[in-house]
Amino acid sequence: MRSFLARQAVRLVVGVLGAVVVAAVISAIGVPRGHGLWGFLLAVAGRLAHFAQGDLGQSAISGQPAWQELGERIPSTLKLVAEGAGLALVAGVPLGLVAAVGPTRRAIAPLIQIITATPLFCAGLALAYGAVHLLHWPVSVNTPVGAAVSPDEAFEIAALPIITVGFAGAAVVQLALRHSASQASGGAFRNGLKRLGLSAFEIERSFILPRVMAGLVASAGEIMLALLSAAVVAEWVFHRSGAADLFVKAVALADWNMTAIILFMFACLTFLAEFAGRIAAHALASEGAP
Amino acid sequence: MMESRPLLELSELTVASGGATVLDRFSLRLDPGESTIVLGETGCGKEALLRVLGGFAHKTDTVTGTLRFRGAEMRPSAWRAKPPIRIAWLANPLSQPFAPHASLADQLARVIARKLGAPLGSASEELRLALERLPGTVTPQLLDAKPGRLDPVTQAIGLLACVSAQTPDLVLADHAMADLGPGAVRMLLEMLAQERRRLGFALIYATGGLQPPARLGGRVIVMRSGRVVEEGDALRLMSGHAHAYTRTLFKALPQLSLTETRPRSSARGQPLLQVHGLMYGGKTRDGLTFELRRGAALALVGEEGSGRRALLRAVLAFEPAASGRVVFDAVDLNILSQTMASRIRRRIAFITGSDESLDPRMSLWDTVEEPLRAHLNLSGDLVAGYREAALKRVGLASLDGKRLVGRMSAFDKRRLQVARAIVSAPLLAVIDEPLRGLDAFAQTIMREVLIDFRVTQGPAFLVITSDFTVAQALAEDCMVFHEGRLIERGAIVDILKAPREEATKALIRAVTLPDLSQAGASV
Amino acid sequence: MSAGQTLEASPPLSRLIVRGVGWCGLGLLAVTVLLSDFIARAPAGMADPSAMLNAPSSTHPFGTDLLGRDLMSETLHGLAETGAHALFGALVAIVCGELFGAVAARLPVPLARAIRGVMGVLAAVPALLLTILLIGLTARFFAPLAAGLAAAPLAFVRAFDRVDVDSKHSEYARATGIPATTLLHRDLTYEFREMLGSVAARALAAVTIILSTASFLGFGAEPPARDLGLMIAAAKATYLAAWWTAACPAAALVILVLCARLAAGLDEGEQP
Repeated sequence: MRSFLARQAVRLVVGVLGAVVVAAVISAIGVPRGHGLWGFLLAVAGRLAHFAQGDLGQSAISGQPAWQELGERIPSTLKLVAEGAGLALVAGVPLGLVAAVGPTRRAIAPLIQIITATPLFCAGLALAYGAVHLLHWPVSVNTPVGAAVSPDEAFEIAALPIITVGFAGAAVVQLALRHSASQASGGAFRNGLKRLGLSAFEIERSFILPRVMAGLVASAGEIMLALLSAAVVAEWVFHRSGAADLFVKAVALADWNMTAIILFMFACLTFLAEFAGRIAAHALASEGAP
Repeated sequence: MMESRPLLELSELTVASGGATVLDRFSLRLDPGESTIVLGETGCGKEALLRVLGGFAHKTDTVTGTLRFRGAEMRPSAWRAKPPIRIAWLANPLSQPFAPHASLADQLARVIARKLGAPLGSASEELRLALERLPGTVTPQLLDAKPGRLDPVTQAIGLLACVSAQTPDLVLADHAMADLGPGAVRMLLEMLAQERRRLGFALIYATGGLQPPARLGGRVIVMRSGRVVEEGDALRLMSGHAHAYTRTLFKALPQLSLTETRPRSSARGQPLLQVHGLMYGGKTRDGLTFELRRGAALALVGEEGSGRRALLRAVLAFEPAASGRVVFDAVDLNILSQTMASRIRRRIAFITGSDESLDPRMSLWDTVEEPLRAHLNLSGDLVAGYREAALKRVGLASLDGKRLVGRMSAFDKRRLQVARAIVSAPLLAVIDEPLRGLDAFAQTIMREVLIDFRVTQGPAFLVITSDFTVAQALAEDCMVFHEGRLIERGAIVDILKAPREEATKALIRAVTLPDLSQAGASV
Repeated sequence: MSAGQTLEASPPLSRLIVRGVGWCGLGLLAVTVLLSDFIARAPAGMADPSAMLNAPSSTHPFGTDLLGRDLMSETLHGLAETGAHALFGALVAIVCGELFGAVAARLPVPLARAIRGVMGVLAAVPALLLTILLIGLTARFFAPLAAGLAAAPLAFVRAFDRVDVDSKHSEYARATGIPATTLLHRDLTYEFREMLGSVAARALAAVTIILSTASFLGFGAEPPARDLGLMIAAAKATYLAAWWTAACPAAALVILVLCARLAAGLDEGEQP
């Protein structure tokens, strides 16, 4: 386990350092520099030096230090991602298990295909339509919603972006589960253990299920990627102020420094999720090196 | 009072699968404590028999006939109730019967718990006691590792302990020791016989190899194409008083010969491989020096993990050696650039018992043609000509050339490796456990194919095996390895006549079959 | 895959049917798009001020939008444009992603690892954000190229990781002097070619979603282009009262993505 942890830690560090370099390259685009490749490389080196010193530069949108602007916006995005992740697991895991191993999986699979083929912004708009017309929630997709008057209103305003992000996450979760279940079921050991004398239920519970769950947590990186992508769309559709919304504005205003920092953050979140997922998967169902 | 009813009664058992009859009107009566070996090639019906007896008939199987355990009739195609006797299944560890991510001891304990209806703690204790009774040093702590970390022989011992902990009435052994190496097979069969004597269970042992009947003796049922060819005592069947098919089957049993039957070729030809003072594998020892001439054959004999492959990897410069020099075809491989070394390596071919050298995605034709296309600039017609000649040589010319390697049988894959080697026209053929996974007839044919390859093409052979009969069939000289060290070397015949080391003697004993008339071998 | 394993039997009938349905769907959509000028009831962009925001009827089966344009015509033209752009982007993703990944896996190990590392970092960022970044750096005209390049890193990583460089048969092949180019030829011939159909369809589905989302966010096609994402963005102002203005282009988009996903055979055996 220790050597596995060390390898994953190295992988994480290398990934994060790579992300720093990529961020410096993007950030250097907007920096005044000399001509040609050498000028650009010097600019990149300069940005790396600034990052190393903790200087993230200024935001072109508000003029504040970039770290301050991010500090105001990031928590809301992270909160949205976390809440969406919770919903994704609550909805996606049972759905994935039913779709993977349940007797109705052949009937459910096409339905899931149709639902997951819906682009997220379409799903968000459809949810908003349903909320307005069926539930009479004070949702708006054209202007930012005013401050909530009551806790119920606050919930109604906050729910749709969370559901939208959760929907995207659930789609990836159930797919990861189905893929993992398919791989876990394909092993020769299922038949072997049955012949040795174990019951089908015990084999599923004690050996297949840990593998399936390990496959799911190993996909944590891909799930995080889907959640972050969904957060961008949800913040835009429902006019939530967050890091994703800041990213879109930064690109529109050619603030490459802010763009780079936000991309770096998102990359780090994905790497961290991948790291945690691999460790958890190893703990659940590692096969041990021969 | 002794149970008078037979333990097992099969009457006119017929199994049809996918429209074909795989077992035809099979009848058997097995009394408590009796053993029967079901012997035949792949597809002879023994697999179908065992799965019906174990209650694992496929959904596509149509099973008719009568099956009774101690007089209680069971529906042969699908058991509704638990049988009135305890049946244990002895699997082959190479069939990967264990979940790779859970501890082996835990899995075995769960099996015992389920079979005995006992709590897991008691089952673990039973496993521990069963392991203690078996000779050797396998402990529950050792088995508390993932299966991937344990060698197959250790797993086989665990499986045997699991079976004996269940105190079964009947044991179904499904090719339980196939391809584990003759030394290991001998040891495991002796353990099985010992447990049978102690617990008195009946045994049905399905096998395609000849070691179990030769070592266990007792009743043997010879099968072919779903039908019983012959049934009788092992001693009688092996002594030549048998059906023609049975006689041919037992003739395939390789025997060691203490007289030289082929002229030694080691003294002829220019040196092909010269090894001087080679130190390898991280162990401090005197450097190894030997030579292999063109057309000669050298066997590296030893059990798994004895150091043969470490030597091979050092000799062929797959891993850097600590010191020493290796010259192949007058070139030092270690000082060459990768491009130049790659050119030299074209003159080496590999034939492995695990068929790992074959890419399962490729077709039959592409596999044979690839060395020609990669190394030579030949026209399509010429390539096709060489390909056909090679496939004819190994008996694969009638197969569909577009068949994917991943869908071929082990026997076909093995011969395909030889065909690919033929077109490469190698100077050196490395042959690694070439008979693994093949049944008796296939092994005989494979030996002939390899000998024919050597005679017609003339490559030098470097044979890696744990079986002295294979070494003797394919080589003249050998080096014997044990625990990472070279312990003996010389002409095979000389070593067989007068082995010095205990490990060498053990390897020879592993392939020397007992005299069943003396042993009273029916256990 | 290791040579110790055998290949699975031919894909089950159900999987072949699903893929067949997907490809037939894509074919039907292509035919519809080619015949859009004949099927559409009005030329693209023709506005009728007297028929603004009309509900679906026999005259206008999909209704009309804020400017009185026939939505069926607009959707067909939008499908054509979105489909064509997505196809181009998918091609870019396949070449720069899948193909490059398969080739890179066979390069000398240090170089392969370095490229894999860089691509791994890019694949850790949502493709939508990469698309927006690339469009911001270039121009909205390059949106399909940007979407293809943004989808490429993830495709690269999948293709790279799929190649079993350390497989036993590769090791033996190298041990017998088989050059790396021949091993690459094996990968491209036996794996890539087999999967080309599903790879292409999956890339099409992914790029369609990225492109349409970018257009929706205001970074993709710009008016007067007939992009489906752009149409849905424009319908945001009216769809709560006139659901058809967003539902019809959204349905067309969903059908396109669904057919591509089915053609890719995205089921238990495939990676998400």
